[in-house]
Amino acid sequence: MTTISRKTDGWAVEVHGLIKRFGTRTAVDNVDLVVPQGSVFGYLGPNGAGKTTLIRVLLGLTRADSGTMSLLGVPVPAQRSHALARVGAIVDEPRFHGHLTGRQNLMILAAARGGDAGSQIEPALDRTRLTQRADDKVSAYSMGMRQRLGLAACLLADPQLLILDEPMNGLDPAGMHEMREMLRSLADEGRTVVLSSHLLDEVERTCDHVAIVDHGKVIRQGPIEELTEGASIAVQVRCSDPAAAARALRPSVDESRISLTDDTLTVTLTAGPAEEQIADINRRLVEAGISVYGSSQTHARLEDWFLSVTSRFGGEQ
Amino acid sequence: MTQPRLALDGRGSPIPPWSLIRAKILELRRRRVLMAVTVAFTVALPVILYGIRLIYHLSDPARYAPAGAPNIFATAGTVMDEFGFIIAVALGATAGTSDLTDGMFRHLVITGRSRVALYLARIPAGLAILASLAAVGFTVVCLVTAFLGSPEPASATAVSAGDMIRSGLWLELDLMIGFTVGLGLGSLMGQRTVPIILLIVLEIIITPPLADHALPPFINGERLIVGVAMDQLKPAALAGGTTVGPGGGPHVLHLPPMPTWAMIAVIAGWIVGWSVIGAWKMATRDA
Repeated sequence: MTTISRKTDGWAVEVHGLIKRFGTRTAVDNVDLVVPQGSVFGYLGPNGAGKTTLIRVLLGLTRADSGTMSLLGVPVPAQRSHALARVGAIVDEPRFHGHLTGRQNLMILAAARGGDAGSQIEPALDRTRLTQRADDKVSAYSMGMRQRLGLAACLLADPQLLILDEPMNGLDPAGMHEMREMLRSLADEGRTVVLSSHLLDEVERTCDHVAIVDHGKVIRQGPIEELTEGASIAVQVRCSDPAAAARALRPSVDESRISLTDDTLTVTLTAGPAEEQIADINRRLVEAGISVYGSSQTHARLEDWFLSVTSRFGGEQ
Repeated sequence: MTQPRLALDGRGSPIPPWSLIRAKILELRRRRVLMAVTVAFTVALPVILYGIRLIYHLSDPARYAPAGAPNIFATAGTVMDEFGFIIAVALGATAGTSDLTDGMFRHLVITGRSRVALYLARIPAGLAILASLAAVGFTVVCLVTAFLGSPEPASATAVSAGDMIRSGLWLELDLMIGFTVGLGLGSLMGQRTVPIILLIVLEIIITPPLADHALPPFINGERLIVGVAMDQLKPAALAGGTTVGPGGGPHVLHLPPMPTWAMIAVIAGWIVGWSVIGAWKMATRDA
């Protein structure tokens, strides 16, 4: 059998200048996106931001109006069949032939994949913990089981790249935990996982890289730590009199950046060296005769950062 | 995870592998209602028809001819033709739309398999089911005709082995047309109800008058309708014994007979044309 070596480092997904329009509406607007090999990549955006459209274009489910793309170093759609050989994907809600069993659905997909995909059916069922229900009709499956069957279908390809569109949709907390563990274990094997989601908490827990998409445009992308590094830092100060502490800080700190609870004063720092600002707050409070019991600082979470950069929440464009 | 190597395994080829055809047979065969109706229309129908004729003949042999009489052969063939065509259309339209309506089309496209191959796999898969069941039903017709016919010596109107073979092949061709047109139209429209209704209307309502009457304003354009061409190709044994046109039928033809090449061209045009349209839609459809 003739084989072609594939690029094994670099980008698992590379997209440049991608545009997809539906009539007058631009669903994907000049998107540039790179997904590092071996990463767990979160593709984040509000509902209707163009996440699923980008994935559908990448997988050849619909055509792009312009732009270049490659999956695992293989250009698509020019060499779509080759590119998809080691790609597994779930797009939207996973649906199957309801009158067939889970195993029979996988047999059909393995037949379409060809090669040794048929031999991957049992391991895939086993890994997704569907073996016991593999001979039940899919029409009797719960949403969580269909999500797992979708993942089993992906595993038939022994994928280097997994593209999962909202894989947590419809799952209960236990199902989400299970799916998260499964994705992590797949990533630990060196597979690249691209996860599209609007669930920021899930992305923060699961991914190491992220891209934010809004109105069809990718606004930011990179490692989560780097992206949130420049974001605001909040300092929580536990003290004897938070109200008096707030008054003591007001001459130099804008009121909008101060918030109070029963025993805690929270100050959102401005840009600049955090250490100096925290030391200044501490000094002012001591000078005002307020007893400081302790302080802690928290970096903005992905959610805060997401809300600050997406336009529909009033952030920057 | 195994080493990243890309196999040139023919997934981009438009020729469907046997495993894909077998998978489609499995998908269709497991549709219980559709299969039950297919068996009923292709096998049970001639069995019931002959059963009734057998009871009639046994109850009053002087009034009712044997079940294997030539005119009963023609009736059975016609019934199988009409109902078989409808079920062939239904099976074709189902084969052409089930992946789409069940949400499997997307999974199949993501495998990287050529969309044309996915389409073409449906043709042998559906025909394997349809042709085999029709063959069983028609074998019943032939057996009854051969063994429960008139005890008198063979007359000019007796159904010969050659007539049976020609009739069987014609019937299979008619079902093949129904299936491929149903498949193509179903794939084009993305749903099966409207194609089934349209083709039933074409077969039952539009074709019979056009097959029997020349319509001058059409400049014989009605001969482009596949049912008209098939009617002219119909073997005499199925046409009730009258012989007009190269194929022997139909029974009362006012339409100028079509040359054989024209019949073949019209039939091939419908089969190939609808297959191309269906495959094109499959290849360009958003999944």
